[in-house]
Amino acid sequence: MRYRVTHATTYSYGEVVDLASHMLHLTPRPLPGQVVLAASLSADPAPVRVTSGADHFGNLVTWMFVETPHDRFTVTLRAEVEAEFAPPPPAEATLPWEQVSAAASRAEGWRAAEFAWPSAMAPADPGAGAYARASFAPGRPVLVALLDLQARIRRDFAFRPGVTTVSTPIAQVLASRAGVCQDFAHVMIAGLRALGLPARYVSGYVRTRPRPGQPRRQGADQSHAWVGAWLGPEHGWVDLDPTNDIVVRDEHVVLGWGRDYADVSPLRGVLLGGGAHALSVAVDLDPMQEEFAT
Amino acid sequence: MTPDSAALAAPVPLPPFWDEMVDGRGSIRPHWRGIVGMLASLPQGGLADRARRLDRAFEEEGVVTILPADPGQGHVQRPWRCDPVPMVLPAAEFAALEAGLSQRAALLSEILADLYGPQRLLAAGLIPPALVYGNPGFLRACRAPSPPLRPIVHLLAADLVRTPQGQWQVLADRAGAPNGVGFARENRRMVARVMPEAFRSVQVRQLRPFFDHWVDSLQRAAPSGAENPRLALLTQGAAHETWFEHVFLSRELGCALVEGADLTTRDGQVFLKTLKGLQRVHVLLRRVEGRLTDPLELASDSTLGVPGLLDAMRAGGVRVVNDPGSHLAEAPALAAFLPKLAEHVLGERLRLASVPTLWLGDAASAAAVLAAPERWMIRSAVDGAAPAQHPSVMGERARAALLERIRATPAAFAATEAVRPSAAPALGEKGLAPKEMVLRLFALADGAGTWRAMPGGLARLIGEGERLTGRLPKAGIAKDVWVLSEDRADIVGPAAFALPPLAIRRASGELPSRVADDLYWLGRYVERLENAARLLRAVILRLSRGWLLPRDLAELRALAACLADAGIVAPEVAAAAPDGPALPRAMLDVCRPARPVAQVFDHVGRLTRGVRDRLTADMWVTMMHLAAEARERSAAACQGLEELNEAAAAIMRFSAGVAGIAAENMVRGGGWLFLDLGRRIERAAHTARDIGRALDQPLPRVEAGLRLAVELCDSAITYRSRYLSVLQPAPVLDLVLADPTNPRSFAYQLDAVERRLAEVQGAPEGDLARSAGSLRAEAEAMVEAVSVAREPAAEAVLLPAQLAALSHQVGVLSDAIARRYFSHVPAAQAVGVGEEQAAG
Repeated sequence: MRYRVTHATTYSYGEVVDLASHMLHLTPRPLPGQVVLAASLSADPAPVRVTSGADHFGNLVTWMFVETPHDRFTVTLRAEVEAEFAPPPPAEATLPWEQVSAAASRAEGWRAAEFAWPSAMAPADPGAGAYARASFAPGRPVLVALLDLQARIRRDFAFRPGVTTVSTPIAQVLASRAGVCQDFAHVMIAGLRALGLPARYVSGYVRTRPRPGQPRRQGADQSHAWVGAWLGPEHGWVDLDPTNDIVVRDEHVVLGWGRDYADVSPLRGVLLGGGAHALSVAVDLDPMQEEFAT
Repeated sequence: MTPDSAALAAPVPLPPFWDEMVDGRGSIRPHWRGIVGMLASLPQGGLADRARRLDRAFEEEGVVTILPADPGQGHVQRPWRCDPVPMVLPAAEFAALEAGLSQRAALLSEILADLYGPQRLLAAGLIPPALVYGNPGFLRACRAPSPPLRPIVHLLAADLVRTPQGQWQVLADRAGAPNGVGFARENRRMVARVMPEAFRSVQVRQLRPFFDHWVDSLQRAAPSGAENPRLALLTQGAAHETWFEHVFLSRELGCALVEGADLTTRDGQVFLKTLKGLQRVHVLLRRVEGRLTDPLELASDSTLGVPGLLDAMRAGGVRVVNDPGSHLAEAPALAAFLPKLAEHVLGERLRLASVPTLWLGDAASAAAVLAAPERWMIRSAVDGAAPAQHPSVMGERARAALLERIRATPAAFAATEAVRPSAAPALGEKGLAPKEMVLRLFALADGAGTWRAMPGGLARLIGEGERLTGRLPKAGIAKDVWVLSEDRADIVGPAAFALPPLAIRRASGELPSRVADDLYWLGRYVERLENAARLLRAVILRLSRGWLLPRDLAELRALAACLADAGIVAPEVAAAAPDGPALPRAMLDVCRPARPVAQVFDHVGRLTRGVRDRLTADMWVTMMHLAAEARERSAAACQGLEELNEAAAAIMRFSAGVAGIAAENMVRGGGWLFLDLGRRIERAAHTARDIGRALDQPLPRVEAGLRLAVELCDSAITYRSRYLSVLQPAPVLDLVLADPTNPRSFAYQLDAVERRLAEVQGAPEGDLARSAGSLRAEAEAMVEAVSVAREPAAEAVLLPAQLAALSHQVGVLSDAIARRYFSHVPAAQAVGVGEEQAAG
């Protein structure tokens, strides 16, 4: 599926910002199954310096340094991406989950091992571990257990924007059983890590299907997040979207991944000045074929 | 990934500790004979006397804080103490240690270059991922496709102990931002001062050449193309426990001492914010924890770093040593893998072994440690700064809890053999006795791929009841480390790196804005103390008279109003009857803790520590003595007016001392300009205000007001010599407001302010200097109006409102100065981490 991505982020400041430095994880990452046909970032006011590179995880990073005094800063990503991820292996054919956990602590699993360690936003929370464990009966094939876990998260947790912020600890999400995609991803990651299973946080976009007969709502979409789970050395990683209870195939576009949100926050910065600030975000993920149809 | 199998072998009964001075047969080891002979030649009690002099010398140099630590700061700074008997290392032994340290530094550098680059050592299974990915010291933002510039470990410190068998082994590697070089240098300076004859008894290698090499190697580390590279030491500031070391080092290395807020990045380069604009910095000697160095990419809540620093490093605009990510190499468990890593990475045998250490993520190692925990000290696998735990001395329950934690998460722990360190002779209450010690040595990259050890070091005695831990003992007594020279012609030439001739710099523009700010406020606060002392003395003088004339009462009322304006007494006290109980009672409270006088002293202490690197040792010592005396007197001032009077006198001695020191010792550059500017501004503001209060009298009492004005401006003698004892408004006001030759007059202050500002602005007609000039003209106009008035007294009592406004105008000028010159760009704030929620 071919998509056009537009992601505009605007900061409005109460006072003038004299100097601003920003770090952006805001460029889709080329992957097997994801071809980035075009991607560009524009900013207003224009930065005096822009650099880019790859981070530790291989994600694409851009740095922007603004020296023009401003009370408003907008960054817009425009990209065209072809996404069609390979189907996962048959769930029953995957390794028993305990073997995946053991492989992550052996030399062969050294790369995946990084994602089995707790991180600040997906800590080793015993509650998350206990919640996840219900899906992981001894000897169960890992993907069978993972699919069960994400189905349970979809069933047990209410999607309710506004009840959490990005800094809401997962213990609270577990208690209230409500939140948004980022919370569900962190809960699932923390639960898997508690079992010794490597799990990573994937940042990107999901298309929102329009209802029949209605136009697609512009700007209604959001930054999305889901979970990458390790199936062992043979099958590698599979992406699972617990918010929608689906395996990631052709409805998602990946920006990048890390241990948790903090590693791949789309836009972070340090300002001199600015006072209070407000943030507005608009994301559009338009399937390009539908444009042809209209 | 199997551990060193020797470490798992059956325990060997420990021989007694190694005695550094005495061998197994009870005779003095040869390299100690010179110093022992010298000690024996001292008269009875001579060594104890030297020890006392050493303590005093450190205290005087301010290796303790000038004033009590700021309230609420939490930590009390202890005085630095050094044993008069040095730790002696023979030349051959030091050479072996140097070779071992150099190899370790090379090895750790290569390991870090790999872990922050291709990570082949992880792929090859030579380092467990737990020690990297589970290590908060692994700064992912520092990992780049192109590996960081080598050597990553520019300066390495290692803490060593000598086993009972006589082998030096490394207890901990300090690869992040190793401390102690400055203290080692101070120890040497002080020991040389109090025991000069000791250096005649043996040939000791000097430390100074090491600093020349250090400057040289920092210069070489500069990005290519930098002709006259500018070095800066990045410090956490005056509140940090190693601040004094940072001051020593910046002085020894001749580099600027800067905090994160003093720096800014522009287009991939780093600049120091100075009074005359931005000045490029090429090399940063980092003394701030690595994860705090760049809030943009690392800890976003850090206020100690420089946003964009990592970008500038990647762009090659600045070199930071040691690399921010180098703390990673301090992981204690890494020691278990160094022998194999040395073979793999360097193709060499590890020359200087670690104290046998196991990583408990290895099942066999964990089992061995759990079977005999008392043989080990237990440390964090990754955090080299965390204290070690000693199962051999733990209570039953604590030990069981520790072992339980090990069983639950073995990979989080390392175990290091509980070795008994060697003992060196140290002065105790009953003379010399052997005391256990840890030795910290330093190795510096020489730019040619090898490292050079400082021919000296920092030994620390392990105090009574203290256990050997993974870091230097916190308290305790240091020892100077003497490396003996075999070659009596151990002459060291100049630094190898020829610098281009330095351009002569005299401008004040080099001064960092923050330092200017600190000096300006130091000047203001010292003057504020002095003014308070003058007012207090004037009040005490009147209160101690047996009976009060109406004139006295009028003066007291004015003085109480001055004190209230200064915030020293409550406004109710000024409003109360001056002969009632309110004023005397309030006087006894003015010096109590947390009241304005004590608070201003706290500010003075903080600011003085902050500008420590701008003061010579003599200035520092003098200021410290005077400040301590003034504080001591103030503390007693609640006991009575007599004591308060003494406190006021001590405060004035302190203030006069600071003025004298500044006048006689400070170059008339930027630093002095701002110290003096602050002082003049403060004095101008309260002179105008206090004269206004003094003149605020009914017409018949104007003479009392004039007398008080003359007294507060310390101008009575001058007035009498000019006009005898007749007090008239015009001559009095001329003397205290308009006379440009009276150093207490308002005009004198503004004249000085105008000249300082003209100098700072580099132009006599600068706008700030002009404002100062017009304030002075206003005061002159007031005096003129009084002198030409038909009823000068009637005119004079109308002045208070104008003088209050004038005082306010001085405050406005002060604000304008602050906005123009001090780094009061608003504090940096982080946005975005956790704001745009992935809410889909």
